[in-house]
Amino acid sequence: MLKPIANIQVPKPSPAAPHCITLLDRNFVFANLKQVLGAADISKAGDRKASLAAKDEIEREAARAVLSGLSLQHFFDHPLTNIRGQVDNVMRVNYDINHAVFAGIANMTLGNLKDELLKSNGIRIREIGTALTGVMVAALTKLLDVHELVYLAKKLKNGASAKARTVIGLQGTLSSRLQPNHPTDNLSGITMLLYTGLSMGSGDAILGLNPAIDNVANISATLHHLDRIRTETGAPTQICVLSHIKTQLECLKNGAPVEIMFQSLAGTESTLTDEFDVTVDLLDQAYETMRTNGPLKDIAENFMYFETGQGSELTYNKHDGMDMTTTEALCYGLARRYSPFMVNNVTGFIGPETHLDNFEMMMSNLQDHFMGKLMGLPMGMAPCYTLHSSVTLEGQQMATELLTAAGANFFMDVYLGADRMLAYFDTSGHDDQTLRETYNLRPAPEFLAWAISKGIFAEDADGNVLRGENWGKPEIFCASNGIVNTSEFQRLQESVPAIYGFDNAGARPSNKVSRLVKANQAIGREAIYADLRPSDMGNIQLRELHTKAHTKAEHLNDAELGTNLEANILAHLKPENNDVQIVISDGLSAEAIHHNIPELLPVLLDGLNSRKLNIGQPILAPFGRVKLAESIGDTLQAQLIVTLIGERPGGDALASRSMSAYFAYRLSDAATQNLAATFSGNSQIKYEYSVLSNIYSGGLPPIEAGSVIAEKIFDILQHKAAGNRLENLLQQSS
Amino acid sequence: MQAETTQRVTLLGLDFGSTTSSALVASAKVARSSATGHMQLDDVQIIYKSEPVFTPFATHNNRQNIDTEKVAKLIANWLNESGVSIKDIFSGGSMITGLAAQADNTTALSKLIIDMVGESVIATADDPCLESWLAFMGSCGALSRYHADVPILNLDIGGGTTNIALGLQGDVLQTGCYFVGARHFKFAPGSYQLLAMSNDGLALLESLNIHKKIGEIFTTNETKKIIAFYIKLLESIVQHNATFLSMPISQLLCQVAIPVSEPISENFSQPRITFSGGVGELIYKIVAGETLPSTTYYGDFGIDLALAISQSTILAADLHSTMPENKGRATVVGLTLHSNEIAGNTVFLPQENCLPLRDLPIIAKLNLAMPDAQWRNAFTLAAKHQHGACIQVELENKASQPVSLNEVQALAQKIKYSIIVSEYAPSQPLLILTEANIGKALGNYICDWGQSMQNIIVIDEVPLRSAHFVHVGRLQQHMIPVSFFGLS
Repeated sequence: MLKPIANIQVPKPSPAAPHCITLLDRNFVFANLKQVLGAADISKAGDRKASLAAKDEIEREAARAVLSGLSLQHFFDHPLTNIRGQVDNVMRVNYDINHAVFAGIANMTLGNLKDELLKSNGIRIREIGTALTGVMVAALTKLLDVHELVYLAKKLKNGASAKARTVIGLQGTLSSRLQPNHPTDNLSGITMLLYTGLSMGSGDAILGLNPAIDNVANISATLHHLDRIRTETGAPTQICVLSHIKTQLECLKNGAPVEIMFQSLAGTESTLTDEFDVTVDLLDQAYETMRTNGPLKDIAENFMYFETGQGSELTYNKHDGMDMTTTEALCYGLARRYSPFMVNNVTGFIGPETHLDNFEMMMSNLQDHFMGKLMGLPMGMAPCYTLHSSVTLEGQQMATELLTAAGANFFMDVYLGADRMLAYFDTSGHDDQTLRETYNLRPAPEFLAWAISKGIFAEDADGNVLRGENWGKPEIFCASNGIVNTSEFQRLQESVPAIYGFDNAGARPSNKVSRLVKANQAIGREAIYADLRPSDMGNIQLRELHTKAHTKAEHLNDAELGTNLEANILAHLKPENNDVQIVISDGLSAEAIHHNIPELLPVLLDGLNSRKLNIGQPILAPFGRVKLAESIGDTLQAQLIVTLIGERPGGDALASRSMSAYFAYRLSDAATQNLAATFSGNSQIKYEYSVLSNIYSGGLPPIEAGSVIAEKIFDILQHKAAGNRLENLLQQSS
Repeated sequence: MQAETTQRVTLLGLDFGSTTSSALVASAKVARSSATGHMQLDDVQIIYKSEPVFTPFATHNNRQNIDTEKVAKLIANWLNESGVSIKDIFSGGSMITGLAAQADNTTALSKLIIDMVGESVIATADDPCLESWLAFMGSCGALSRYHADVPILNLDIGGGTTNIALGLQGDVLQTGCYFVGARHFKFAPGSYQLLAMSNDGLALLESLNIHKKIGEIFTTNETKKIIAFYIKLLESIVQHNATFLSMPISQLLCQVAIPVSEPISENFSQPRITFSGGVGELIYKIVAGETLPSTTYYGDFGIDLALAISQSTILAADLHSTMPENKGRATVVGLTLHSNEIAGNTVFLPQENCLPLRDLPIIAKLNLAMPDAQWRNAFTLAAKHQHGACIQVELENKASQPVSLNEVQALAQKIKYSIIVSEYAPSQPLLILTEANIGKALGNYICDWGQSMQNIIVIDEVPLRSAHFVHVGRLQQHMIPVSFFGLS
């Protein structure tokens, strides 16, 4: 039973006291504990942006020296508070510790605790972990180097297992979550990706889909589909569709097989409630529902699946002055309350605003894995990256090697490492098998037995697990009496975008396949790092205006800068009161602009001119973001701002040239603003948005897109509405 | 990738063949293919599959006609069993094929079908090349894409005809049809006592110098002779044996000759041979080691033909390596799933209520390189069809290549000019079909962005076909089904 949150005692916060220290001839004053914690960590993009990172190595060591000298009781007595000076519910849950064990270590300094842990065995380390809050664990972690993060985590492998239908995290195992994400939740595509992963021995932790459409009907349908595939293949594992917890509860109520309940967590209550729409009470309710009514209640010991990752609180600017590692540790304190089946860390997913390069990403991953394990969690890891960061495939692979050495419970299996729905890069089934072979690890025992029966793995006379004759052959799941239904297999293949083939070389993809994957990534990355070339925009005269981002690096690393024009440019702009203002910006793909605008813009202008609309001279705004429309709209007083902007490239070469059109309708008159406010529930609403995406030669080609955009503009201006309100009005009038 | 429809559509297929008739109901999503980029049916689920029943014939004035009264009961029964509501049918096809298509009352039957199952379903009769195409798509479409470097020649052998289609990478390249089937001779089941024979059967007997009347029994030698001829004819079709195919009896049994052409490309190997239809079903049962009933169990030559084909080194070469799907139901599956193309989701359709457009004649397939006179003539001819006409427009590049703005604008100018010189009436529907994804842009340039009142519909992203007619269904869930018939 969960301890009622009101019964968790937290000391009353005291006014912040500065921490002072002298290192050689330099005096350091840290205004409060949060500042010490921030400065003690390695320098990461997110903490630098929040002005929490140390300015240099000496300041970092000074902060670490301060932390080393603080007792655990000091950390206990000084709970970190939110911006209103209160202890939030996430912090409160973190104080639900083993007080008997804590009593034995309370007077230990953090430095002594570190030494004690390094001298202890796994059982003792795990016991101490039960007595620590997230803040204590984060502080300790900042004192650990790479070897220590790996060494201590490895000692925690024994005892980090969890049980649903299979047991994940046993000694000698490396499991995987099979992630068959598809951009449109196409069931055939999902099937193909599941077959592919299962044929590579992936999926013993879970078959877990991130859905493209988060509603009860779709989530129920995909859950039933995953369940069907699990049953038909006989794979001993469990399923999950990673939608919002409220959606999953509704699905469960309707009889859908919600075997494991998923939720993303945050380390501050304001992020958790305002951004993730989740409270501790709701998490409690979900846990109790799964424990008493979940489909696996009679066989599982653990029912929850959480995802976390450094930086989400910072991205929403709701980190309450805490650094990324500390808020991450607080997530683990929250996750610990529910004895989850899996915790998956996706540090690196957000991008360069939190983790700029390979070093930052690798260090955070090692920290997170250790922190989670110390707090008793069955940690799996998803070291990942987006193309607009400087993190590379090689850096990600180094992270997985280190994390395997550290004893991570599981990694992801994303087909060839490129997620087709989320446009990011993660570990693959090939990676998982490579690591299993390199470190002599196996999947979960029940799953291994099944995979051997399917010829996916084989066991030699000495008990070594080898790849079997069917490893990497997804077509085995389309066979009946040993004969493959090639027609069915073909249809499944055709439902997955960017499918590069199934040729393997040992545990790795064949060189031909790897070259395709890497070439596509290279094209995607080039699309981001290319600069806008006005000469490649066609013959229409554009006026070039600059945002607050002056360089590509500033643009990629700080999304805010691209949402506003430079102050001196704004000062020179006057209201023009046009019907339509077109804004062209590279966003995250300059190549998308180069490949679409020359043919799209003339069609669009032909369409607008046919209706004799007042059109402002189109603006070219390098390093812009979608919200730039509002800065321009407020200044030029245009009725509708159409922003043509490059999308974030994923792993598909053609799609890296994909552009979107955002329609920002300015609610300039009171009557329209009232209607929009009523419809949205936001009384302060200033703009309504519609969007048209996937504009590129392989999606909606630019010429056709120009025509579609023109017609959408006609609709918006005629109905004085955009977004869902416009769609409702159009539906009523048809 | 553009969003998929979350709702499913219902599809219906009805096949009235020489021997049997059957119905199929499927449910599917419509999605953009990751492979081709075109809209296509996806996640197809068969929700109803009727048992094949003998096609009801009735003799009238010494002619075998289809018994429309029994057919009406049959259709009503199928609809009832499947639980499908006519208003829910998105698209589909019905076809009267083989010997059934030689009946005098096929037109009445087509009308009956439309009356019963609604305007979303196209009804055709005696369209052998369309039948060959559908049988290929129903049995070998995905298989042919899987074996992308191998042409596939499918022989759909039913009661009356063998419908032949040669395809590559999922596209049908050539079609043909011969009156070779199981039911040109009807026997008392379990014996070779002749109960009835078709005109083609009679001609074959004469050619083989076999003299048999109704009620008499074929000798073993006679049946062997007939089957041997059929096998030789099929082998000749496969091997392009011009000498045998030019014999008078071969010519007589030929409804549409499959063109004798050069190999598709030296990059491709010899076609693999597959079978479908009722006889095809029996052939693959033999391959699977199943025991068939004794010959003439079904009262025809079906089992004899299947056994003989499975023993022909030429015809049986690929039976084990290249397995089609749906086999005996290939045509009805083809009718259900492949009768219609799905138009792209950015078509030019200023007046939604002008759909459906039934039986529009396809006047011409035009491209920009053609002289003005050819465009003018085509539009003048189109203008004579008061209920509307269709012009197919080919672009310089293939559908997968981007089309230039200059090309779209030039095309629009050419069409505007042709409309004017042909005096095409503004209210008269003009359907423009194109493979490229340019429907809305082309339509807007033709109609000056809504300024012109010309009733033009531009439907894009459908493959252009050598067909005589096209049918454009109603707009449903933002999708428009398009079907071709009268294939040549």
